Amino acid sequence: MTQFRPGREVMVAGVGLHPFGRFPSKDLAALALEAVVAALKDAEVRWKDIPVAYFGHVYYHGMSVGETALGKLGLTGIPIINVENACSSGSTAFWQAYWGVASGVFDLALAFGAEKVPRGPVTVTAEDSPERYIGGDHMMAGYALRMRRYMEDTGAPASALAQVSVKARQNGALNPYAHRKETHTLEQVLGSRLISDPLTLFQCCPTSEGAAAAVLCAADSMDRYGVAKERAVRVTAAVLRSGSYNGRGSDHSAFSPYRTEPAALEAYEMSGLGPEDVDLVQVHDAATIGELQQLESLHLVPFGQAWQATVEGRTALSGDIPTNTDGGLLAMGHPFGATGIRMIHETVTQLRQEAGPRRQVGNPKVGLAQCSGAGDVTTVHILTK
Amino acid sequence: MPVSVDINRLKLTNEEGTQGVLLGFRCRDCGGHVFGPATYCQGCTSVELEPVELSKQGTLYSYTVVRVPSPGWPGPVPYVLGQVELPEGPQVLAELIDCPETALRIGMAVELALQPVKAGEGDTERAVYKWRPAQDSP
Repeated sequence: MTQFRPGREVMVAGVGLHPFGRFPSKDLAALALEAVVAALKDAEVRWKDIPVAYFGHVYYHGMSVGETALGKLGLTGIPIINVENACSSGSTAFWQAYWGVASGVFDLALAFGAEKVPRGPVTVTAEDSPERYIGGDHMMAGYALRMRRYMEDTGAPASALAQVSVKARQNGALNPYAHRKETHTLEQVLGSRLISDPLTLFQCCPTSEGAAAAVLCAADSMDRYGVAKERAVRVTAAVLRSGSYNGRGSDHSAFSPYRTEPAALEAYEMSGLGPEDVDLVQVHDAATIGELQQLESLHLVPFGQAWQATVEGRTALSGDIPTNTDGGLLAMGHPFGATGIRMIHETVTQLRQEAGPRRQVGNPKVGLAQCSGAGDVTTVHILTK
Repeated sequence: MPVSVDINRLKLTNEEGTQGVLLGFRCRDCGGHVFGPATYCQGCTSVELEPVELSKQGTLYSYTVVRVPSPGWPGPVPYVLGQVELPEGPQVLAELIDCPETALRIGMAVELALQPVKAGEGDTERAVYKWRPAQDSP
């Protein structure tokens, strides 16, 4: 395990979001820019003071799109890094921004992400891959394999998994940024079209467009750049990991559903906090089964018991482990490059107690955000107020 | 004459491309196996890898019936995708054929089967590895 040496304390100074949904009249750079400007305003930081930017996105929209987007704010000559790490591209950009500041290289950093995901099933491999003929490269089929095995191993009924989606939509209905704002019932979730048995359509996140941004600042430099200190949120852990070999394989999510566990342990060690300290959590619920297995990997519930916690309402806004409080991927939708920073946005919003009277989960002190990506990527960030 | 869908994963053993064997590596240091290509051991990073032919039988670890396939899928819709665990450890995802949906169950014995696949007119015929219920249970 990595040995952590104390670096500079890093704060999230501001966050911004472009609504998630479908926006055919806007290109990727336009989506991204709206989120960036919102984050700069929220942080009360001037663009000309930003010394570095990291941009998460996956699909090809031309070269150096980060530079193209930010160029509209003024060509300040700063390093801009375009980041591709599958569904974790946004959270990886945030992780890089964190370490850019923690290491002492930069006082401030911008992390942002945007995506316009095409409609239809998502694949990981290139178009000319042998996987096209083999049939194993299908994101939701991978989740379906995990779900079938989980149900067999734990005895979880289909209705428990469907409840994850019902809860997500209830939260999303309270969030003006969500792609899906309509609630639905257990029967509607279970009765929706089968995508890959036993996963039904409403248990799969929508593919979406959207953008998110965060401005990070060294705690010792907030005065210097005019950051609104009272609203700043501390980052106490920033962990990124790729897969380890488990004897079965690691090249597909179905082979390693609990790969988040080592990242979680590292994050708890780095922050000096434990799962019992976490007041709210955002996890990668690309499919309903994802939320259950991530909650277990994070040690927020014992292995094999997240389905019961869900049925008991413990993961709802009113529960003791409020999960995906903004609607998660299932209701927010999933623009790959934006999703990880969208989780940071929600965590910051909740820790500031700015989520609105119906969505705010009390007075939380510790929030955790976990984001997964294909190729076996996982990120865990812990934020405190 | 079909070609192997991936020469790093499947070696054809007859001219018709109807017989073959899955390829992998065994690590002389940790004893672990990998399916498909490897440069160093995926488990322990040892360079002491020896190429091996993997078992033709395995057990079904999980399965799903894919009803909305990925773009470019040249096979039938729906199709059964099987996640099969080999005795050596690695798991291999492939289509599970010749099995009615009602007969699918986790833990069932399956065996390797090769089928020729063409993505369309003009496409090279490829021998693709699949799984089917084991004819003779081991």
